[in-house]
Amino acid sequence: MSIRVESIRKTFGAFTALEDINLDVARGGLVGLLGPSGSGKTTLLRIIAGLEKPDRGRVFFHDRDVTNLDARRRRVGFVFQQYALFRHLTVADNVAFGLRMLPRGERPPRDAIRARVRELLELVQMDTMAGRYPAQLSGGQKQRVALARALALKPEVLLLDEPFGALDAKVRKELRRWLRHLHEQIDVTSLFVTHDQEEAMEVSDQVVVMSQGRVEQVGSPVEVYEHPASRFVFDFLGHINALEGHYDGITWRAGDASLRLDTHGACPDGALTLYLRPHEATLSHAPDEHAHLPVKLVARSVFGGTVTLELAPRGWGDRVLEVELDRDTWQALSPGRDDTLYLLPRALQTVTCDGDLGPRVRPG
Amino acid sequence: MPRYWHQWALILAALGAVVVLLVLPLVLIVFQAFSQGATVVADNLTSADMIAAIKLTLVVALVTVPVNLVFGVLLAWCVTRYEFRGRKLLTTLIDIPFAMSPVVAGLCYLVVYGGQSAFGKWLDDTLDVQLMFALPGMIMVTVFVTCPYVARVLIPLMQSQGTEEEEAAVLLGASGWQTFWYVTLPKIRWALLYGVVLTNARAVGEFGAVSVVSGLIRGETLTLPLLIQMLNEDYNTVGAFTAAGLLAAMALVTLLLKTALEWRQHHKLDAAQETTP
Repeated sequence: MSIRVESIRKTFGAFTALEDINLDVARGGLVGLLGPSGSGKTTLLRIIAGLEKPDRGRVFFHDRDVTNLDARRRRVGFVFQQYALFRHLTVADNVAFGLRMLPRGERPPRDAIRARVRELLELVQMDTMAGRYPAQLSGGQKQRVALARALALKPEVLLLDEPFGALDAKVRKELRRWLRHLHEQIDVTSLFVTHDQEEAMEVSDQVVVMSQGRVEQVGSPVEVYEHPASRFVFDFLGHINALEGHYDGITWRAGDASLRLDTHGACPDGALTLYLRPHEATLSHAPDEHAHLPVKLVARSVFGGTVTLELAPRGWGDRVLEVELDRDTWQALSPGRDDTLYLLPRALQTVTCDGDLGPRVRPG
Repeated sequence: MPRYWHQWALILAALGAVVVLLVLPLVLIVFQAFSQGATVVADNLTSADMIAAIKLTLVVALVTVPVNLVFGVLLAWCVTRYEFRGRKLLTTLIDIPFAMSPVVAGLCYLVVYGGQSAFGKWLDDTLDVQLMFALPGMIMVTVFVTCPYVARVLIPLMQSQGTEEEEAAVLLGASGWQTFWYVTLPKIRWALLYGVVLTNARAVGEFGAVSVVSGLIRGETLTLPLLIQMLNEDYNTVGAFTAAGLLAAMALVTLLLKTALEWRQHHKLDAAQETTP
């Protein structure tokens, strides 16, 4: 079932949580609502579920207007950040809850409920824990039970609020893959809220980037990363280094640093900020003909195939820069203590003086 | 275990205080009651006044406790589940019966519902109902005096538990009643029981407010606490202490019940913890 949201607005007192939100989620999609805390993503999810009422605007489930439909009749599966398992019920009873609450006419017989519960617990690999109480489960196990419970009534819409927010890094990663896999197995349209860029990029096939109650950009993870629609999106997706300086039409300068840039006349003379992604630069023992960006190594972190370096500019500002190199490049470089290294950017994002994104440029 | 002499000293001091302030008076009540032998106690217990007082006390408690149980749950639900104008004011108003002397409460009821007031007159003239100096008035003031207990126990608990489980239930298709019955009630049942125990203890023992509106009609509007006062003034020491012993026994039974319930709950929790991986 597709979900459509039209000009939703929601305020809490003087605070505007959502400002004219429009959103389309295709049937069967796995969509991540990504944004910093306070961006309104959870509020939007709760409005879609029917837990909050929008001040204006409409919500549609496959052309059916559900704006005024009570939450209990919307038939959405919902997974809470803190799981919200019924603490006085066993795992099996938690999963069976929705089925048992059905009106007498629609309620399946006892055996059918039991069979469905077993099937769901097998799906989430929790069938051996059916008799346990929530207090006896780990975070990851609770999360899986919450998911099984949400799926019990075969909802066509599944909403997840920060589903992995309260788990440690390793379990998170596992559950992420597992959710992706599960989504492929069942016919459901899923929308999940996260503030974790990596999570949104890995799990979803569409990302909705939100900020201050507005949708900044909607697109596939690759689209959003490669072609950010606004400075906020660029800023928010992954770490960036901001280099502030002046541009005279040929060369960008900041203190002792200089960088020849060809912007095809797109950037006027004057103040120019450049955004550099950590993986779009390399290091060398000598400057090249375009770039003279001396730096000093402050710290390094060797983990997996990438080496993350913290660099202090030498004579051009005091903000520490972050650069990622692959392991081989790092070993070939093997700098000595206090060596001056030179940053060689491959691509940079310009930011115009009014704060918008300018063209992407290369040195030369 | 305590290791130093001053720790022992503190424990002994506490024990001494408990004995002097709590145990000794209770023991003395029993001794005084039986000072002239068991037959006198039995005679007093079976006297018409005593039996009427016991009945009246139980009736007042039996009406008060369910009324305040429902009222307390509704109030706690309302205050913790909804945001509305005047919510803070309402939570403050709940405490009025705590803050106010019961005698004042009794007088207020007398002024509003008594025969001298317009409302009281109207009730008497048109419906031939007399609230004050009768059972209805005694129940009314007891309800008033004991109404904060259940709500006061529930509100902090329900606030800390949050509303997510209820939201989850609603999203799973549960109606308001189903949500309350299957989710909220099991979450608060122990606190609720505690609130009921407190309400009951207070309803049985209430003296001030009830004495104002009862009119002290022997055999009709005397509850146990009022009877104790009356017997004491009549210099019937054995009677007074017999009634007092009875009242104290009721309180002790309530306390034991509460302790047993708490013990059972802890026991259940521990059992659950032991099987945790």
